[in-house]
Amino acid sequence: MARPKLAGVTTVYRKHSHTQHIIDRYLEGYGWNGTHHHPEMDLISLYVDQVPADDLSRDREKRFPGMKIYPTIAEALTMGTGKLAVDGVVVVGEHGDYPKTPKGQVQYPRYRFFEEIVKVFRESGKSVPMFNDKHLSWNWEWAKKMYDTSKEMGFPYMAGSSLAVTWRIPSVEFPTGARVSEALCICYGGVDSYDFHGLETLQCMVERRKGGESGVKWLQAYRGDKFWDACRDNVWPRDLMNAALCRSHTLTPARAGFNDIFPSLDDMRRLTKDPVAYRYEHADGLNSTMLLMNGLVRDFNFAARIEGTAKPFSTQMYLPMPDGRTTMANFFSPLVNNMEKMYLTGKATYPIERTLLTTGLTAAGVDSLFAGQTRLETPHLMIQYQPSKESTFWRT
Amino acid sequence: MTSNITRRTFLAGAAAIPALSQGQPKRVAIISTIFRLQSHAQHIGDRFIVGYPMAGEWHKPNTQVVSLYVDQKPANDLSETRAKEFGFKVYPTIAEAVCCGGSKLAVDAVLIIGEHGEYPRNDKGQILYPRFEFFEQVTKVFEADGRSVPVYNDKHLSYSFEKAKKMRDTSRRLKFPMLAGSSLPVTWRLPNLELPLGCEIEDAMMVGAGGSDPMDFHALEAMQCMMERRKGGEKGVKAVQLLEGDAVWKAGEDGKWSKELLRSALSRSDNLKGATLADGRTQDMVGNGVLPQVVKNPWAYLIEYRDGTKATMMMLTDAVADFNIAVKVKGNKDIQATQFLLTPDPNVTYSACLASKIEQMIMTGVAPYPVERTLLVSGMLEACLDSRIKGHTRLETPHLDVVYQAPKESQYMRV
Repeated sequence: MARPKLAGVTTVYRKHSHTQHIIDRYLEGYGWNGTHHHPEMDLISLYVDQVPADDLSRDREKRFPGMKIYPTIAEALTMGTGKLAVDGVVVVGEHGDYPKTPKGQVQYPRYRFFEEIVKVFRESGKSVPMFNDKHLSWNWEWAKKMYDTSKEMGFPYMAGSSLAVTWRIPSVEFPTGARVSEALCICYGGVDSYDFHGLETLQCMVERRKGGESGVKWLQAYRGDKFWDACRDNVWPRDLMNAALCRSHTLTPARAGFNDIFPSLDDMRRLTKDPVAYRYEHADGLNSTMLLMNGLVRDFNFAARIEGTAKPFSTQMYLPMPDGRTTMANFFSPLVNNMEKMYLTGKATYPIERTLLTTGLTAAGVDSLFAGQTRLETPHLMIQYQPSKESTFWRT
Repeated sequence: MTSNITRRTFLAGAAAIPALSQGQPKRVAIISTIFRLQSHAQHIGDRFIVGYPMAGEWHKPNTQVVSLYVDQKPANDLSETRAKEFGFKVYPTIAEAVCCGGSKLAVDAVLIIGEHGEYPRNDKGQILYPRFEFFEQVTKVFEADGRSVPVYNDKHLSYSFEKAKKMRDTSRRLKFPMLAGSSLPVTWRLPNLELPLGCEIEDAMMVGAGGSDPMDFHALEAMQCMMERRKGGEKGVKAVQLLEGDAVWKAGEDGKWSKELLRSALSRSDNLKGATLADGRTQDMVGNGVLPQVVKNPWAYLIEYRDGTKATMMMLTDAVADFNIAVKVKGNKDIQATQFLLTPDPNVTYSACLASKIEQMIMTGVAPYPVERTLLVSGMLEACLDSRIKGHTRLETPHLDVVYQAPKESQYMRV
C-alpha cells in the first residue's frame, strides 16, 4: 500500500498551539513504543488560517520541503490538480484570534473548514478520512450537520480530545458492561474550553457501561455560590469528589506549611476560583458530573460508582502539560497515533458519536450557564452508540 | 515479635504509651537534618502525620509520629509548629527522640531523613549529610536497650560506601528490618514496565538530569531496581568509570554505550530541551545529532557488573529533564523503555509511593525490598565520583561485591 498523503487544515501554527503539537508529530515524528516513531504517511499540504508574528508554519515548510502551504483549503486539498489529491485530512481548529459569541464561546471556524473540505470531496466525487481536533463546533446545529454529512458521504470521521487517549494513572480501563450509577470528573480550565476535555474524560469511560451510551436527557450547570450550595446539598456525590481529588497530582495545599494535605469543603471553597459544574442525566439513569475547580487542581481526575464494588473506581487522565511541568505535550502522541490508524485502515478507532455528544454537552453547559444555571432538557442529545471493543488509551 | 516489642515498650514507662495491639498506632520517631516546607523530612514525615493519597483514597497510616529530631533549624523551620499541632515533641538529641525523653527505646519505627540542610561538600562534590552519624546514634540506643525496631533511611545510606556498609552490617547484626533509597524505583512508570525476574539483560541505558550527588543517586537507583532483576540476581559491580564532556560522545562512537538505547530512552521523555524549548517541536535528539551541541557538560556513568552485564547512566541536563530507561533483554526483538514519573511540586506524590513502602515495613516488620540495593548504589555513586576526580579513569571496585536477590513482587506503583 502506498503511503497515505495528508493535508492539514489549521487555524494557527505557533509554539504550543494544537496545530504545532499535532502537525509537528507528522513532520518530526514522536516517541512511541520506546522508539522515535515516524508515521507511515506524509503530510504534504497545509492550510493555515492565521499567520501571526510568531508563526511557525513557514519555518516548517522550509525545514520539510515535502510539505507545501496553500492559500486556501480547496487548494491544500487539491494541490493544483483540480480535484482531491490527498488520502486524509487533519483539521486543527484550536487557538488563533477569533471572535466570541455573546455566550463567550470562541468561534473557531471548524464548521467552515469542514464545509470547504466536503465541498472538495463532493466536487471530486470522493471522500477521505477526516480528523477534527476537539469538539466539532461551538454551535450544536453545525456540529450535528457535520456529523450527518460525514454519515451521508460515508467517510471515516474521528474527533475529540487527547484526554480520552492519554496515559491513565493508574493504567486502568473502565470495566466493559459494568453498571454505573454516578460518574464524576474534577478538572480545571474554562467554559467552552477545558469543560469539553472534562466531558470527554467522563464519556470515554462511561460509554463502556452496560448497554453502551444511551444519550443524555437533561443538563444543569452550577457556578459560584450555586456550585457550593449544590456541593453542600450533595447534588453530586462527595465520595466521588474525594476519590477524584485523591488521584490528583496537583492538589493545592489547603494549609500553609504543608505540601500535600486533603482539603475540607471550606478549604475547597477558599481555594477554588469561579467553580463550574455540569450535572447531567443519561437516558439509562446514569448521572454524570463535570467539575471545573480552578485553583484547586490542575489535572483531570475521574471517579465512578460501579455496582458491586465497595470503593469508587478512579484514575487520573494524565496530561504531561507544557506549562512548566513538561516541554512537549506528549498527550498529543496517542491522539496522533489513533489518527494514523484511521488514515492507514480507513476505520475510526473510536466512535465520532462520543464527540458529537460531548460537543452537545459543552454547548448545553454554556446555554445553562447563560440561562441562569437552569436545568435544560436535551432531547437532541439522545445519542446512542457503542464503544470501541479495544481500549484506545496510551499504555505501551 | 511485634507484641513483645510493644509490651516491653509499654513497661518502659507511662510517658511512652506504646502500641498495645495491632489496633494501636505504631509510634514513629523522625530523625532529620531539617524540617522545612518541601524538605524530604517534611514531605515524607507529613505522610505519617496527615496521611497521603493512595489508590484513590486519602490514606491515614495507623502510625503516630511521637518524636522528632532536627539537626538544623533555619528561619523557615516547621518542626516546632508541627510538633505543637500534632502533639509530639522535638527533642534536642537523637537518643532522646527515640526514647521520647525516657531512658529506653520508646518507638516502633525510626525514619532517618538526612536530606536538605546546610552541610559541607567533600572533594568529590558529595554533600556530607550525617546519615551515618544519625544511624549510629539510633542503633546505639537499640544496642543499649537490647532490642531494635524497623529503620527507614532516606536516599543513599551514606556518601561513603564504608559507612554505608557499616550501617547495613549493623542492621543485620541487630536483626532489624531496614529500608532505604529513593522514590524513583517505586513511583509510577509510563508505561507500566517490569523486567521479568531472571531475564538476560544485554544492555541498559538510564538517562536523566542532574550531574550532582543528590540527583544522580535517584537515577542510579532507578536503573539498579531494573538491573537487579537479571538472571542470577545481583552479584555486585566489578568496575566503574565516569566520563565527562567530549569523552562521553567519543565513548558512544567507540561503542562503549548504545546510541540505539539512548534514542529509545529519550523517546520516553516528556521533557526534551534544545529546539523543543524554542518552538515546542518533538525531536529525535540522537537521530538528528544535536546532542553534542545542546549538552554542554554530559556525564556518563559506565557500570560493569561482576557477572559481565553492563549498564550506562547518562546525565544530559541540557537535553532532558526527566528520568527514563531503555533495556535490551535477550530474546526480545524490541528495546523496552519507560519513564520513572516524578510528579510535580508541591505535592510530589511520588513520595506517597515511597511512604506506602515505609508503612508496609513498619506494619509487617519486613522490608519490601532489600537494603542491599541502596547499599550497592551508594557505593556505585561514590566509586563513579572517585573515577571523576582520578582523571575519569576506570576503577576496579572489588569492595562492591554486594550480592542480593530482587523482590519477586514488583514494587512500583500501579494502583
